[in-house]
Amino acid sequence: MRSNRRFDVVRLAAICGSAVALLAVVALGAWLAIGSVAAFRHEGLSFLTANDWGYRQESFGAAAMLYGTAVVSLVALVVAAPIGVGTAIFASEICTRRVRLAIKMLVEILAGVPSVVYGLLGVLFLRDWLYVLFERLGIDALSGDTLLTAGLLLAVMILPTVATLADDALQSVPSRVREASRGLGLTRAEATLFVILPQALPSIAGALLLGLGRALGETIAVFLVVGRADNLLPENLASWPPLVDAGQTITSKLGGAETNIAVGDPLHSSAIVALAAILFGAVLIVTITAEALRARAAKVMGR
Amino acid sequence: MTRRRLLDRLFTAAMASFGLAALGALFTVVGIVAWRGAGAISLSFLLEEVRGAGADGGVLYHIAGTAILVTTAALVALPISIAIGLLSHGYLGDGRGRRMIEATLHALNAVPSIVFGLAGLALFVNTFGWQKSWLAGGIVLGLMIVPTVAVAFLEKLRAIPASAIQAATGLGLRRSMISTAVLLPQAAAGLVTGLLLGLARAAGETAPIMFTAVIFSGATLPKGVTDSPVLALPYHIFVLAQDSFDPAALEKAWGAAAVLLALVFGLAIAALPLRLRIHEEAKRV
Repeated sequence: MRSNRRFDVVRLAAICGSAVALLAVVALGAWLAIGSVAAFRHEGLSFLTANDWGYRQESFGAAAMLYGTAVVSLVALVVAAPIGVGTAIFASEICTRRVRLAIKMLVEILAGVPSVVYGLLGVLFLRDWLYVLFERLGIDALSGDTLLTAGLLLAVMILPTVATLADDALQSVPSRVREASRGLGLTRAEATLFVILPQALPSIAGALLLGLGRALGETIAVFLVVGRADNLLPENLASWPPLVDAGQTITSKLGGAETNIAVGDPLHSSAIVALAAILFGAVLIVTITAEALRARAAKVMGR
Repeated sequence: MTRRRLLDRLFTAAMASFGLAALGALFTVVGIVAWRGAGAISLSFLLEEVRGAGADGGVLYHIAGTAILVTTAALVALPISIAIGLLSHGYLGDGRGRRMIEATLHALNAVPSIVFGLAGLALFVNTFGWQKSWLAGGIVLGLMIVPTVAVAFLEKLRAIPASAIQAATGLGLRRSMISTAVLLPQAAAGLVTGLLLGLARAAGETAPIMFTAVIFSGATLPKGVTDSPVLALPYHIFVLAQDSFDPAALEKAWGAAAVLLALVFGLAIAALPLRLRIHEEAKRV
């Protein structure tokens, strides 16, 4: 009988191949962490709080970009959440199984529309529509390139993600729950709102967070419609007109000319890497939270 | 009608209108691209090279460049994803190793595409001195889609009945044999599905390749590795959308967008039948 300790090529290959993926993640993390040290040493906390980004002056306060990223992603989430979850409720709780699958298929195919195509639509349609709308409403906007434009475009982009994951969440509520609540005489609306939705809530929250993660990291479409104006911070963060100002997000900065300009300048490129590190950190936290919520929900439902 | 019935009707109507709004928005997107792109697309658009800063000619080398990038990405992502799947289900138990692989995939999936692009710029362009290269773009895109491919493969591996593996063990097969003769063929459908979906994503991405692999004009087919950029559909659309106020060039941008959309949808639709089957099987288990 041959020994199990025999040299196993498949095992070796499997370990090597998996190691490539692990190594890529570790190297990426290390590169982001080490690469951003110089920028943080130069700026300190004012990298996050100051609003004075200008590589010619060697000052790198990224507050306006953090603000832009937050605003644009939140607009996207606030718009996409009700529509996406509503679509999921419609597909999962109201439609027949066949119609539900058809909707899901369509939504998942449409989720694949590349961001540059959304960008083209944003440039040639959405920003003009919004500009006309601003004029009609008497809002003083310089152009259609605004944080609001970017947020609305992102909302459409993350809609399929939110809808299909929220549908998964609703579907994971066992059908006996549905049958029991209808058997008690609840209408479909009552059963959905007071029984099924609360049970699915953790994984719906996970779905929304994954949508948020996608919005945070989206580059190309935002780049094309956000206006890319540096260091614009509204005086009052709570007022809404700043939404119709142009702005800059972390991704629109990273996707722009400065990334190439920074090559060869240690401090400037460190500032660029630091922005990338903040972005990755934010998306990572959001994604991990989302996956944890979804995994825990799956465990509870499985019981 | 009682108040409760009325509220129920209202609820149904509200949810239906959300659903219609979502589908409507998404169909508008596709509809506009098809409508505006149809005018630009002709056989010569597909078979000619670009002229006049995008205003004239066609997208032959953009299609070729995108095909080169996507093929390279497939060749990078496929072996890594097979390795991850076989290690996870052929060799590792339900323990720490498998959790580490899952964490790796989650982390890789959380990397924004622009960060992949910057990492590729730092490594291939600046450190290795490749200049812009199709290979750098392909590797970056390949790593980016590993989670998509591997997760679909893992999902199908999980659905293999334990009895199949017990039978193989009972026949005296070694782990390596179980991996290659049972796990891989049984879960191949998941691998193919994941790969098609991953490639659909890779074909449409701009951010990972804009600093590493593509230029706007002046490239045909690559002749080597270093300083061998290609043209690509998404980057072409990106530059035209950004710079051009020339209606002729924008017409070409719509044409390129329609070609890209057809390519991406083609890949996603090809993945569909297998995918639905996996969905149903996963539910039955």
